[in-house]
Amino acid sequence: MTCDSIRPLLEAHADGELDLVRQLEVEAHLAACPACAAAASALAARRAALRGALPRFPAPEALRGRVLSGLGAVTPAPAAKVVRFPVWTPAALAAALAAAALLGFSWGSHRSRSDARFAEAFGDHARSLQAGHLVDVVSTDQHTVKPWFMGKLDFSPPVLDLASSGFPLAGGRLERIDGRAAAALVFHRRLHVVNLLIWPADAGRATTREERANGFNAASWSQGGLNFLAVSEIPMADLETFAAAYRAQAR
Amino acid sequence: MEASVPHAPPTFEQLMLPHLDAAYNLARWLLRDPHDAEDAVQDAFLRAHGAFGRFRGTEGRAWLLTIVRNVCYTRLRERSRGPEAVAFQDEVHGLGDDPAEANAVAWHEVKSALLQAALERLPAEYREVIVLHEIEGLPYREIAGLAGIPIGTVMSRLARGRARLQAELLALAAQPPSP
Repeated sequence: MTCDSIRPLLEAHADGELDLVRQLEVEAHLAACPACAAAASALAARRAALRGALPRFPAPEALRGRVLSGLGAVTPAPAAKVVRFPVWTPAALAAALAAAALLGFSWGSHRSRSDARFAEAFGDHARSLQAGHLVDVVSTDQHTVKPWFMGKLDFSPPVLDLASSGFPLAGGRLERIDGRAAAALVFHRRLHVVNLLIWPADAGRATTREERANGFNAASWSQGGLNFLAVSEIPMADLETFAAAYRAQAR
Repeated sequence: MEASVPHAPPTFEQLMLPHLDAAYNLARWLLRDPHDAEDAVQDAFLRAHGAFGRFRGTEGRAWLLTIVRNVCYTRLRERSRGPEAVAFQDEVHGLGDDPAEANAVAWHEVKSALLQAALERLPAEYREVIVLHEIEGLPYREIAGLAGIPIGTVMSRLARGRARLQAELLALAAQPPSP
């Protein structure tokens, strides 16, 4: 990679916000290029200074009291049920890192070919492989994952475990597609990840299609009033196996 | 019979009060005034409380900070005079953000008060990404959701904001200290 293509990434590199592949590319370049390495260390010094010297203003103790008494004066609204789960298991992390390493992916580079939904789905899949966002609920148990979506979505996604077909359930998270909330189920295929997005279907639009972009494959179908879009880096034939198994079990 | 509630949903106070410091810090930096910041935070908590029935996420901090941010921007607009009255556009700030220029400042010698003064001189849109990222430690993705901007814009605002902060620091350092 050239200096010109590395320079815009240095800041995100210092912030630890690059995906693994880009991170490694930048580090390889820095090892060979003293000028960029000097720029990177200046950025690191700046970052450390900002983090160390910018004050965080704590809330005055009186404000806590004011907020509490302000709240006491109004009727409490019923809370939505919120369940917190640890975001990562070592297995999920290893799977995502392995997948990212195999992919050579970077976000934002695959907008042109497929339509908006597929583009969104490819983006969702790619982002989900970046640290921190594979799953919001970690579970191999469909009876844990399904209730987790309750209260977060206005529909009930069918949560299936396809372990018997070689796609064990890893967890779920919320996504947005088509401007609305969708369920994302995460399955493993050996070291790879399959993201399955589920959202309510528009009336009269039942489509089955496949798409490819930047090494990702995607397959979509409609069933029972819901749209399904599976996206992964596994071969299209494997993804078709996944889709067929899911459709058969959801029936 | 024992009437137990094993999984009572967390209350508003349980979910949101832990983020009071983060809320105040953001408001304090955006409004640059401790009293305005207190009022804004109280206002934001009342609004959040009223809207809590619609809170569906698991990220209480981001949700609360989004409301704090909205309240602060409304107040900034109401102040009407001042730099914030000018609509912010990312593109018009043609400031160089070449990372190599970061070495123009001896960062380990920069005093906290000077840095604070420099940051307060930045437009709110730059100030907030720096506060959220450097002080609150929020990842790009969370800032993007909170401010309603794409991740790429978070990245470029941070880069330009830091470059601009550096320019303000150099300008401040060149001035004789005020008596």
